[in-house]
Amino acid sequence: MSHAGSTDWAIELRNVSAGYTVAEGFKAIRKRYVEVLHDVSFRVGRGERVAVIGESGSGKTTLLRVMLGLLQPLKGDVMVLGQRIYAMPSRERWKITSRIGYVPQDPFRSLNPRLRVADIVAEPLTRLGLSESEKLQRLRAALRMVQLHESVLEHYPSRLSGGMMQRVLIARAVVHEPEILLLDEPTSALDVSTQAQVVNLLNSIQERLGCTMVTVTHDLPLAQYLADRAVILYKGVVVEEGALDEIVRNPKSEHAKLLIASYALGASGVVSPLSSSAAK
Amino acid sequence: MSALAVEAKRLSVGYEELDEVLWAVRRATLGVRAGEAFCLVGESGSGKSTVASAIVGILPPHAVTDGELRVDGKLVVKGNERSYEGVRGRVVTYVPQSPGASLNPYLEIGDQFYHVLNSLYGLNRREALEKARAYLGMAGLDPEAVLDRYPHELSGGMQQRAAIALALSTGAKILVADEPTSSLDAHLRLQIVELLRRLRAEAGLTLIFITHDMLLAGALSERIAIMYAGSLVEQGPTGEVLRKPLHPYTSMLIESVPVLGAKRPLKPYAGEPPNPGELGGGCPFYDRCPSRLQVCASEPPVMKEVGDSHYVACWLY
Repeated sequence: MSHAGSTDWAIELRNVSAGYTVAEGFKAIRKRYVEVLHDVSFRVGRGERVAVIGESGSGKTTLLRVMLGLLQPLKGDVMVLGQRIYAMPSRERWKITSRIGYVPQDPFRSLNPRLRVADIVAEPLTRLGLSESEKLQRLRAALRMVQLHESVLEHYPSRLSGGMMQRVLIARAVVHEPEILLLDEPTSALDVSTQAQVVNLLNSIQERLGCTMVTVTHDLPLAQYLADRAVILYKGVVVEEGALDEIVRNPKSEHAKLLIASYALGASGVVSPLSSSAAK
Repeated sequence: MSALAVEAKRLSVGYEELDEVLWAVRRATLGVRAGEAFCLVGESGSGKSTVASAIVGILPPHAVTDGELRVDGKLVVKGNERSYEGVRGRVVTYVPQSPGASLNPYLEIGDQFYHVLNSLYGLNRREALEKARAYLGMAGLDPEAVLDRYPHELSGGMQQRAAIALALSTGAKILVADEPTSSLDAHLRLQIVELLRRLRAEAGLTLIFITHDMLLAGALSERIAIMYAGSLVEQGPTGEVLRKPLHPYTSMLIESVPVLGAKRPLKPYAGEPPNPGELGGGCPFYDRCPSRLQVCASEPPVMKEVGDSHYVACWLY
């Protein structure tokens, strides 16, 4: 079977169902397959900014694992950069998935406390066979992209603030200039005043690299700043897909309507004053 | 009940760390009127939860206090002396951040009501369950479907409703809710906000809501106070503070929050809030402030009234 699919799309999922085997009963003798994603299909074009929006339990993390080549779906096709990644041996698959940069959710738990920042950021470069000077050049370029000073390279994560840790994670994701950037709730562990810095940074990196950016989040207002198109996931099913502004203005599915109503907190609240100040 | 349900005068709260005290709250002066919905807004480490713990009477033993705090007219903190007798659990009650962690996992919901009401008022099981039914119903739960369940058998939203019902069943008139919706999905968050609004009106509660979420604060409260790095920087009527913020930090919070449908550019501000141990002698916002003056570096600004019940601690005013 050929591995090649259409090269127009950075990511393409066709009727993907995926989940996990869980052990049950005394001494875990019974095994049961829990399907989390049901018949999920969507495409992400090259250079596009897309948000996958869903609440807890909607299957966001499972979807990320599938796209990263870490979880073989039960059925369906997953194409990354035009290749059916699960139809190839894992060594071949790695060659494709290493062209993805991944920013995990929680910077406080995602950095190895025993490694210095230089070693953390250089991790994606280890298999590229670069010389030390080339590596250092790439490290410096990545730090410049995330606006961190070079002196940070010698620090351990414990010396960094939350915002700096998140920048280190972004630097690690972009140091090898990936074609796809996958972001898992990239600002949920940050305070609101730091969040804006990271959002603007991610957008400038995406523009500079011209890469595809897929943000997985529960935060619909935030998604407006990181994506132009959205896929709404509910209980493992894609319930709506389209231009994000259009979904916000005119949601079709019941779940999207509920989600949007949940954020329109108040006639009496801050939404109206802020909206009006925004319009000025 | 006095006109002020909670009144803090130059309240400082710190924690003993080896041979020094790290002050999490510095000289906070605020008043919460009886029956109002009041929001205390701040980012992580701003000291908002420490203020909540001081009001409720659950500061840890290694906490150090200074200044004064009155709850329902009773002096509960004076200098480093604290006494919450007759106040904690009876006058003021608490809904913590994580409902799953706050309910006892080994007790059915009905038993949790019995234990609380028996220890506070000596109610027997039948009386406690009767009260539990009334308050669970008020919180929008079907009492018969919940009373004999363990917390892990309930969803996150149901757990939070049960925790609110349990807090209210004590008959306390001041409810302090510390980020009660932060662990919930957006649609459940809306339900809990609506529940708190309704309960406040029905039970005549004073509601003190601790949050980092400006939208939630705007939707829920009549008055708002903003904290930064342990200091209160602004307080006043919610609508006015949000429409005409005076403190540069309040403006920053408002300009940084993404609002659905209002796609304005998010204004980034450099830097991050300082740790309590790293504060200098001046304004805590000095390093990040776009409008700082020379005096801000050395003198901490004092809270002053600028508009009608609108207070700000900033040298610009």
